[in-house]
Formats: sequence, structure tokens, C-alpha cells
Amino acid sequence: MSTHNHEHHISTAGQLWAVGTALLILTIITVVVAKFIAIPPPFDVVTAISIALVKAFLVAAFFMNLYWDVKFNAMLLVMAVIFFLLMISITLLDTLYRNDVVPSF
Amino acid sequence: MSTAEVTPASTGTKKTLKVKRYKPSEDPKNTYLTDEKGLWAWMTTVDHKKIGLMYLGSVTFFFLLGGILALLLRTELLTPAETFIQADTYNQFFTLHGAIMVFFVLVPSIPAALGNFVLPMQLGAKDVAFPRLNLASLYIYMIGAIFTFIALANNGLDTGWTFYTPYSTESSSSVIWVTLGVFILGFSSILTGTNFIATIHKLRAPGITWGKLPLNIWALYATSIIQVLATPVLAITVLLLTMERVLGIGIFDPALGGDPVLFQHFFWFYSHPAVYIMIVPGFGIISEVITTFSKKHIFGYWAIALSSLAIAFIGFLVWGHHMFTSGQSAVATTVFSFLTFLVGIPTGIKILNWVATLYKGSIEMKTPMIYVFIFLFLFSIGGFTGIMLGALSADIHLHDTYYVVAHFHYVMMGGTLIALLAGLHYWWPKMTGKMYDEFQAKIGAVLIFIGFNMTFLPQFIMGSQGMPRRYYNYIDQFTIFHQTSTIGSYVLGVGFLLIAYYLAKSLYSGEKAGSNPWGSRGLEWQSTSPPDFHNFDHTPVVINGPYDYHKPMEEFQLGLANENDHH
Amino acid sequence: MANHSTSTPSHVHHHFVDSDQQFDTAKLGMWVFLVNEILFFGGLFCAYIVYRAWYPELFQMAALELNTFWGAVNTVVLIGSSLTVAMAIRSAQKNQMKGLKINLLITIGLALVFMVIKGFEYAHKFELGIFPGEYYTYEGLDHPQAAIFFSIYYMLTGVHALHVIIGIGLIYWIYLRAKKGEFSSEYYTPVEITGLYWHLVDLIWIFLFPLLYLIE
Repeated sequence: MSTHNHEHHISTAGQLWAVGTALLILTIITVVVAKFIAIPPPFDVVTAISIALVKAFLVAAFFMNLYWDVKFNAMLLVMAVIFFLLMISITLLDTLYRNDVVPSF
Repeated sequence: MSTAEVTPASTGTKKTLKVKRYKPSEDPKNTYLTDEKGLWAWMTTVDHKKIGLMYLGSVTFFFLLGGILALLLRTELLTPAETFIQADTYNQFFTLHGAIMVFFVLVPSIPAALGNFVLPMQLGAKDVAFPRLNLASLYIYMIGAIFTFIALANNGLDTGWTFYTPYSTESSSSVIWVTLGVFILGFSSILTGTNFIATIHKLRAPGITWGKLPLNIWALYATSIIQVLATPVLAITVLLLTMERVLGIGIFDPALGGDPVLFQHFFWFYSHPAVYIMIVPGFGIISEVITTFSKKHIFGYWAIALSSLAIAFIGFLVWGHHMFTSGQSAVATTVFSFLTFLVGIPTGIKILNWVATLYKGSIEMKTPMIYVFIFLFLFSIGGFTGIMLGALSADIHLHDTYYVVAHFHYVMMGGTLIALLAGLHYWWPKMTGKMYDEFQAKIGAVLIFIGFNMTFLPQFIMGSQGMPRRYYNYIDQFTIFHQTSTIGSYVLGVGFLLIAYYLAKSLYSGEKAGSNPWGSRGLEWQSTSPPDFHNFDHTPVVINGPYDYHKPMEEFQLGLANENDHH
Repeated sequence: MANHSTSTPSHVHHHFVDSDQQFDTAKLGMWVFLVNEILFFGGLFCAYIVYRAWYPELFQMAALELNTFWGAVNTVVLIGSSLTVAMAIRSAQKNQMKGLKINLLITIGLALVFMVIKGFEYAHKFELGIFPGEYYTYEGLDHPQAAIFFSIYYMLTGVHALHVIIGIGLIYWIYLRAKKGEFSSEYYTPVEITGLYWHLVDLIWIFLFPLLYLIE
């Protein structure tokens, strides 16, 4: 029913190695920042997660080919993340605002 | 030979296709039932129709099991003190009744049984996207069931179907067998949802745009989204519970600094959307039946279609309304109460639109339609009482009383099960090629309606007067309510036995059903009854919406004029 | 429009019209499954976040027991394996069957390295008495909820490791099929979707690593 909507994108070896190298560099950066640069909490977590998000984007977009793929697949990934964020944020609405951490009976 | 202009669903550009009319035979020689015969063929089939029937058989078996448990519970409740079951046994019975009904009946019933059969046909496809995965789903369901039976044979389960910690971590019953069974069962649900999403996106016949999808498909689509997003959280929850029991992990155990309310968060993050997995496919069936038997276009197609998606989304935001009295923070409680009111809105839109569909329709009171009316009545009561429970101040008093029990039976049984019965009676001629006895079917529907209300209406009253749930004895003031409820449950039982009887009888001596006994415009009806092994012997081409009853039947039986391959 | 060729390739199943539809559908199906995996791990991450918010000092203390160096090495190893599996798919797309097989084997090799390092990590912890849950006997952390951090650690890394093991099995199976000559630039769908699964395993670790190993 559907024919060639799009050619399957083939990355060059150079492109793939470039992404791999970027990921390696970002890994080094995140370790160095965590170990040698004192950042007050909660910003230390924010920094680490931000770097992780950049790495994740690179993997998703260029290794998993979402950059060239049907937009719907990328939307699936985004939806999963959104629901995950909803789950933790609403749970935190409870756990962060308790009087006692564990309800005492 | 006439040409029709259709928009192929995937590319969106108008192309002209040569089509001709394919009138389905009223006397099919080869059907999906005759093409593959024998036990081995059935056990290894990848045909979605047979898989759907096998699910239907399994669901019926578990419904019988869960139903017997229910009757035993109700019989125990005939007298205020112990009648014939001891307290521990009573705990096991209500736990198993709940677990079986939720996990083995209601969650899979409409999507896996009727959905599997009907979805590809409504899309004009030959099968689902991943037929072998479909068979795997069925086997995974069976394996999950076996684990549960092992638990039954060992120490049973007495934690309530909700497995709350810390009791579930300490109970000497076979918690791990059941939680593993549920874990495995979850995969069945996830794989079915994945299959449906892929099929709906990629396997539509030419001409079926998103705006021409039957509302049943929209409902199954929304359900599949919920299944894929919510079930994994149940999986991790039962895994953590198992680890808690085996390794003493301590994240839910207050003695070790853990939090039992966290378990409830994880559990209800799945289990609330799960109730939408149960009811939304039912909504889809109602849309199909109500249009067929009003011979009228649905009122507010897009409102109903998109409200299914809205329910799927908002349904993920309200789980804390099961936990108002659990000790969660005041902030969370208030937010959840507010969001719970929102979730009633899309459902309300559906109910109003269905009723509006009836207006100036040519209504035929056949059995499926009777079940639709029963649904509208019972589910509205269930829905309203749900909103009442969502009001934080009221719920403080009503939580864990029979009010809640009545509410969820009205929505789950009065909603999902009645919709399942409507769908079963609607598609029975298509699936089996036989008609059941219409008079007996109507009697069955009346018995179900009377029995149901007799069973559960008194429970609302009891609950609001303070009768707690899951108690096997009670104080004298509730005796009359419990006894009425029990008599009602026996009437219900008789009703279900009657349904089973005439449906089984129809297989042997039922009148032959034609391809389209109801005169529906749905694509699944433009095939033989029972259908061909590949559903259609041509590629259907769709030019009208599924509820365009003002268009002649010929326009719904079009297919590609040139077919090079006949698989 | 009707492209019902009289000879559809044998890999195309009967309910699909052509190879492209089958490939796109398989990818869609795998992405839906990955959504499911994200929510599965999401529950574990949620537990982590809840407890870290409750006991931040515990997490600071306990993270010192984790070896950042080897954690970083494992991160590099997994990223490398993601690269090689992407190269494997590229080989398949370009009909380079030898390249496909070599890249698949390297991926498996790197995954095994990951598991070996993990094995050493776990062994070291067991020596100290750091076991999950009620078997925890380590005295070196002065915090009443010390066991909970490690329970979460074991759950997160354990479930992840299980997915690595499953991934090794899947990639090996793909390798065997490649050896039998089942794939070509016309048909490499199983390679593609296994690759997607493997990338997810890498993605999860990309978040696990800073959350567990880089708390300072």
C-alpha cells in the first residue's frame, strides 16, 4: 500500500565516528566536572543530567537515526519521556511535601 | 467497472484507483474456520481471528472462575456472622476474585478477544502487523495464568488484588507466584498494544484516512497507548515487590526506612490507567452498535475520537485518588482530586454524543442495542459515583466502603462487561456465521439488568452508611442490604448461564447468518460470515466514512479492480 | 499504485504489500516497545529520585563506595558498542556482509567487557558485605538507611545488566543469521531493530552513570 516514501538514510563511517567521538568527549567532560569542579546542589545534578541529555540526543538522533526517520518515531520517544516526567513530578508532589517522610500510624 | 477517487492513507495525495464491487457471498465455502483444522492448527495459528477466539475462550473460562468466587463471597455474606467460610479463606476469595477479574478478564477481554478479531477487518487488512507476536501474546497470557494457578495450589493469596505493602511483603501466601504471573501477563498486554498501534498506523486499506476510521479503532488505539505506557510500570512494581520479599530490599518497608505509600504510587500509576484500558474499548463497541442500530451517523465523530485520546492522557494524571487516605501529602491529594474531576469530562462528552446519535435514528431494539441502553444506564451511574468519590471530602468517608465496591462494579461490570456482551452479540454472526435465539438473548439481557442492579444498588446505600469493604462479617443493620445483594448475584449468575447456553446452542443449531445481518456499513461486515482466511479476497477500497448510512451499501463493498496476487 | 508484483521477495510476509511497508512497520513496532522499556526503567528512576530527595546525604556518602573510574570505562565501552552496532547496520545497508559480521562480533565483545567489569564491581562489593536488602552487612557507612541506596543501586544496575545479557543474546542470534546469509541491503530489518534495542541499553546507562557514579 505504501511505496518508497523515503530512502533509507545511510550515514557515512566518518559521521558515525564523529558522533562516537563527541560522546566520548562529553563523557570525559561530565566526569571531570563532577570530580573537579565544585558545584552546589542541586545544580550538580542539573549539570550532569544536562550533559547526559546531550549525549542521549546524539545517540537517539544519529545512532538511532531519528534525525532522518519518520517524525512519528521521534514523537514516540518524546511522549515516553513526557509521561516519565509526569510520573516523577506528580509523585514528588507527594513525597516532597510530606510532614513525615514515612507516614507514621 | 467504475472508478473511484481515493486518497491513499499513507501518502495523503489524491490518486485515482480503479475499483469494482465485491459483494460478499452469503454461502461461503471456505472460511477461516475450515481452512485450518485440528488442534495443532489452532495452537500454531497466526490468524488473528482464531487468536481472538482463543482469547475469548480463555476470558470466558476465567470469568466463570471469578464469577464462582463472587457467588461464594456473596453467599458468605448472607448472614452477619460466619456463614460457611472462615475469615482467612474469605480474604483469599476476594483477592482471587479481584485479581482474576482485573488481570485475566477485564484487561484483555475486549482488546484481545474482540479487538483481535475485528480490528484488522475494520482496517481492511489481512492480519495484524505482527501475527507471530500476536500468537506469542496469547501464550504469554496462558503462562501468566499458569503461574497464578500454581499460587492457588500453594498458599493462595490473601493480600487483596492490590498487593499493598507491608502486608504483601510479609504475608505467608504465595505472593511471588502471583506477582510473577502478573509480570508475565503484562507482556501479553504490552505486545497486543504494540501490535495494534503498528497495525492502525501502517496497515490501513486505501482510502481509510484518520477521519474515516471506525470509532472502535480510535478506542483501541487509545487503549493500546495506555497499555504500552502504563503496563511497564506495573511490571517494575511487581518486580520490586518480588525483590522486597526475596531480598528484603526495604524501599517499601517502614521498618527499614522505606515507604509503603511509594508502593501505592507505583501500583496505581498503572492500575488507574488500567481501568481505562478496560473501559475505553467498551466505548468503541458502543459507538459501533449504536450507529448500526440507529442506522445513523454518529453525532460528533471527532469529539468521540479525540475524547478517547483525552481519557488516555488525563487518566495518567489522577492515580492518587485511590490514595486520599493513605498519608500522602495534602498538596498531592488536592491536585489529584482536582484532576479527577477533569477526567470525567471526555467520558461525559461521549455519553451525550451517543444519546444525541439516537435522535431521529431508526432504532432497532435487537440484543446488542439493548445492551447499549443497559450500558448507558449502568455506566452513567458508575461514572457519576466515581466523580463523587473524587471529591476529597466525600472520599474520606467513603474510601474502603461498599460505596467504592459498588462504584467500580458499575463501571467495570456495568460498563466493560456489558459492552463486551454488546460486542459479543453484535459480532457473533460475523465470527461464527450463526445467529443466536433473539428471544432468549433478550431474556438474558433483562436478567442481567435486574440481577445487576439488585446486587449493586444496595451496596451504594450500605457503603454510605459505613459498611467496610473486604469484611466477611457485618453488623445487623446491613443484613437486608447484603441479602438483597446476594439474591441479585444469583439472578446475575442465572443470566450468564442463559447467555452461555444459547450462544453455545447457536453453534450447533443456530440460523445461518448472512454476511451482514444488521445492515451495518462497517467494513468488517462487507465480508462473508464467517470471514475468509485472509478476511477479504480483494484489497478493500474505502470511499465513505463508516457511519454514512445515507450512502448505499454498494459503495461500501468496493475493492481494487486489478489484483495480481491472490494469496 | 498497485505494486503487487507477481514475485514479492520471500522475506516479505503475506499481509504486507511490500518490503518498505514491512520495514517501516517493524521499526514502528520496535519504537513502541522502546517506549515501554523507557517507562519500565522509569519506575526505577522514580524510586531513585524519591529516595535521593529524602536522603541526599546518604547518596553523597554511599556514592563514594562506587568506583567512578570503572563506571566511566563502562560508559565508554557501551558508547563504543553503540558505535559498532551503528556501523554494523551501515554495513548491512551497503551490502557489506563481512563488515556486518565483524561489527556485530565487536559489539558483542564490548558488551562482554561491560559485563566483566560489572562482575568485578559486584564481586568487590560482595567482599565488603554490600549485599542488596536484608543481606547488607557492611559497616563502613554511618547511615541508618545505607542499605536502601545499595538496594536501588543493585536494582538499577541489575535490571540494566539483564538487558545487556538479553542484548548479547539477540546480537549473537543476528550474527548467526548473518553468517547464514539471510541479510542484504534489500533486507536487514532484524539488524536494524536489534540495533535500536541495543542503543536503548546504551541510553539507559548514559543516565545511570551520572546518577549513581557521579554524586560528589
